[in-house]
Amino acid sequence: MDLFLNRVFDGLSNGATYALIALALVMIFKATTLINFAQGEFAMIGAFIVLVLATERGVPMWIAVILAMIIAGLGAAGIERTLIRPFDPADHLPLVIITLGLFLAINAIAGIVWRFDPRRFPELFPSGNALTIGSATLTWYTVGVVCTTLITASLLTLLLNKTKIGLAFRAVSSNLESSELVGVRVGPTLQFGWAIAAAVGALGAAVFVANPVLQLEPTIMIRVLIFAVSAAALGGLDSLWGAIIGGVAIGMVQSIVVPYTPIPNELALATAVIVLLLVLIFKPAGLLGTAAVERV
Amino acid sequence: MANTPRFTIVEGSPQQLAYKWVGIALFSLFLLLIAFAYNDTGSLTLLGNDYTISTPRLTKAIAFIICILGLQVVAGFTGQLSLGQGFFFGTGAYLSAWLVADHNWSWFATLLVVVPACFVLGMIVGIPALRIKGLYLALVTLGLAAIFPSLVQLEGLKPYTNGAGGKQVSSDLKAPDWLPLDGIAAIFQKIPLLGQYFGDGDLSSKESDRVWIFFLMVVLAVICFKLVSNLVNSRPGRALRAIRDNETSAAVTGMNLSLYKTLSFGLASALGGVGGIVYVAELGIASPGDFTQLISIYFIVGLVVGGVGTLSGAVIGGLVITFVPDWASSTQELPVVPERWLSGPTGPLIMGVLLIVLTFVLPGGVVAGTRKLKAKIVRIVPRTPDGDIAEIVDVDELLGDDAENELAAPSV
Repeated sequence: MDLFLNRVFDGLSNGATYALIALALVMIFKATTLINFAQGEFAMIGAFIVLVLATERGVPMWIAVILAMIIAGLGAAGIERTLIRPFDPADHLPLVIITLGLFLAINAIAGIVWRFDPRRFPELFPSGNALTIGSATLTWYTVGVVCTTLITASLLTLLLNKTKIGLAFRAVSSNLESSELVGVRVGPTLQFGWAIAAAVGALGAAVFVANPVLQLEPTIMIRVLIFAVSAAALGGLDSLWGAIIGGVAIGMVQSIVVPYTPIPNELALATAVIVLLLVLIFKPAGLLGTAAVERV
Repeated sequence: MANTPRFTIVEGSPQQLAYKWVGIALFSLFLLLIAFAYNDTGSLTLLGNDYTISTPRLTKAIAFIICILGLQVVAGFTGQLSLGQGFFFGTGAYLSAWLVADHNWSWFATLLVVVPACFVLGMIVGIPALRIKGLYLALVTLGLAAIFPSLVQLEGLKPYTNGAGGKQVSSDLKAPDWLPLDGIAAIFQKIPLLGQYFGDGDLSSKESDRVWIFFLMVVLAVICFKLVSNLVNSRPGRALRAIRDNETSAAVTGMNLSLYKTLSFGLASALGGVGGIVYVAELGIASPGDFTQLISIYFIVGLVVGGVGTLSGAVIGGLVITFVPDWASSTQELPVVPERWLSGPTGPLIMGVLLIVLTFVLPGGVVAGTRKLKAKIVRIVPRTPDGDIAEIVDVDELLGDDAENELAAPSV
């Protein structure tokens, strides 16, 4: 029982970080039905910025995280303006190819600048245990990650539902052409979506590598991206809270289902692919997503 | 007319046949020259760095070319992006290595297992994603590509795949005695001025084996190209293009969307498997590090560099993804560029930048670019019923500049 609880807590902390990256994917998918394959790499750069600010400049951790989120957001806005906007948002192939190019290039640049040796990431949450049940322990890290994810999702929901730019964003994601006709400036609105997505992603990477058992290196987010993609699809690719539920579910599958089945540990990533396939077979719209209905 | 071609050739005329066969002959001669010239010693100096173009590298390029040909079918003609070609590439490589090393099969007999296995595997993972419109195939296949290295290193599969060390296999492809490879090399060496580039003396047995493998794989690649070009020019090929250009209207005209999409993905996977056979037959080892998601994305780079939806683009793409990353990683110093940038992952950086720049500058890839140039010199026009030369109509001018881009860059 204690072992089971420990696994639940592990699943929660992993799942909450997958949820944050999934949130970033959903933000961009909602607006343009595009998957940004470079999302994980944006987030990885964000985590490196946090590391540089905190260890080399002595900025307090949380301020470093906020600064990194702002820098990542501005960077993504710049990338959207220069590399994404020139293309027709309805034509996916060139856009996906651009994001793949970004994936390769950003990963390589990080490798050149920071090298591939893993680095210790400073602690973001207090160490120690918040709760001990028998031999099962709930660490402050897990509590911190879950709270961060919930707060981020709530703030995003507020942003989209209560602000003017949020309204514009929802209009564009509902119907790009109609919103353009009623005077929504589509370009800057999508740019805003990219910036928010990158900022959320940077936060996700920072809390992910703040896990005491992990270290930061340029390739760390590739696996996370696949878990996040699966989480986003499970929750419904256009639903913010679906991404949270999907993320936690994927984290649980990884830490609970895998140990109790003959699936070897190295194949944890395969569970993400299997979940994705099952979602596509049985509920392509995901748990909370809107089913695609097309008028001919 | 704005750009009248220098020569106009009527389709089906003797000139057109001559034009076609001279092209094929020149290409074959080029292959022959390059196989012997770069057999062992040939090196190319590019910006002060010696870089060896050897026949084994060319054979590796053929492996990549066949994989990209597969991607052309599924992404170029059907418009479904697959990021998992490396998975099938790896499956083909491991499967054939296992059959040859442990069961003494001959390399070409493994085709009989690898092609159906990869085809069926591709269909199975493709069906769920391809039933639905959108980028789902890319999502599923990205995951597949990422799990492949850990899959072959599983404890349970170790007896077959040899885990992290890689599956070694010795090649049984020996040059036959009746083939006068030494004689051909001697002829090339006698050419004045250029002879020095073809080495000296007879070929060692290792060298003649390399040349032999190269030509065998060229033949295999030509067969693959012929099959695919027949497919895309036939009724199913037109169905695939109809799906790429407009799924809804293709469905309305009575095409079974998921059937055609899954078949084309299965075919692409089978070609990936064939590429894997070529790769391991040349290299002699299949190791997990060669089949990461990076190689799958490199295949996409190859697809885009050559030109999406063009078969000949696969050749250019395969050569680029073979030579550019190798050249980048063997280059340790360049003028102007700081050393730190050269010792890191320069290859992926160049590939990433290439992908972005080409999408902007040359969306149709190198092939579309050269076709535009060629159209200024030679244009082949269809024959009219009464034998006159048909009036040349410039399609670009009729449809505006966007026409070509739309044809070259299909939507997913």
